[in-house]
Amino acid sequence: MPVNPMDLTGRHVLVTGASSGIGRASALLLAQLGAHVTVTGRDAGRLAETLERMEGEGHRAAPFDLGAIDEIPAWLKGLASAGKPFAGLAHCAGIQVSKPIRSADEAFMSDMFRVNISSGLALARAIRQRGCAVEGAGLVFVASASAFVGQAGNVVYCAAKGALVSAARALAVELARDRIRVNCVCPALVDTEMADRFRSTMSETQFQDYLKHYPMGIGKPEDVANAIAFLIADTARWMTGTSLLLDGGLLAG
Amino acid sequence: MKTKEFLALLDDMLELDPGTLTGAEQLSDIPEWDSLAVISFIALVDEQFDLILEGEKLAEAKSVRDLINLLGGRVTD
Repeated sequence: MPVNPMDLTGRHVLVTGASSGIGRASALLLAQLGAHVTVTGRDAGRLAETLERMEGEGHRAAPFDLGAIDEIPAWLKGLASAGKPFAGLAHCAGIQVSKPIRSADEAFMSDMFRVNISSGLALARAIRQRGCAVEGAGLVFVASASAFVGQAGNVVYCAAKGALVSAARALAVELARDRIRVNCVCPALVDTEMADRFRSTMSETQFQDYLKHYPMGIGKPEDVANAIAFLIADTARWMTGTSLLLDGGLLAG
Repeated sequence: MKTKEFLALLDDMLELDPGTLTGAEQLSDIPEWDSLAVISFIALVDEQFDLILEGEKLAEAKSVRDLINLLGGRVTD
């Protein structure tokens, strides 16, 4: 019988941002690997679409707005009680809006930080509650290559994603006593709806110039999902506090 | 939104004195209209009108009036 080191049979995994892009691809792959996946996002209709496309049994949709930071712990505890403790959590929800620092007001900063970093911290707070995680559970944040390379017009997003990378490192140390591992994946541009928006704000010539920075081209959602599954599964049993860069060679050049 | 209000938002965005822009200016004559201003403009239009401008069309705009025309009637005299 073939051995699958990333097998997740019967394990309960939560995926945020599962209504599209990297979140949806992750939910599909984790289900294929045998996990029982709870998918969340704000749009119940689109979550239902994700659910329909998932293989296997034991999946469910739990629509929720992660902007309600202080409600996250009780909500997640409810999910763990209704199903079973989580063996993994892929935090794929996030937003990217380009804005130079000269236009970044408090409302913008707060929005960007609430969705991109506070929600991740609250999920960490939530999953470490008694009865919410199994021993060795893997929490994965989708950070960004923007944590490591500066981009003009993207300062607040870069700051938020950099904060996620730092948070994963500190959480890895703090949550080791709870036997929870915390890691990040750091993708550069991935072909998703969020990237479509980024692309639409450039002319075709500008976009083609941008692509020249990617020796292996831009990524697919499945490329990121593979890394997320690897970090949740026993393949990463000994990995915590790490960030995996997924960038088609962008930062190597 | 009235043209006057929109021009005031553009003045503010470009850090120009209030009342500087009239609509007749060529973008190439405004030193403050640089690549970051373009990003700011896209964000401004998204916030004010819930509209994502296409980069292709924005690149074709030559004047302040062209920018207003991109908004398809959302800004009126």
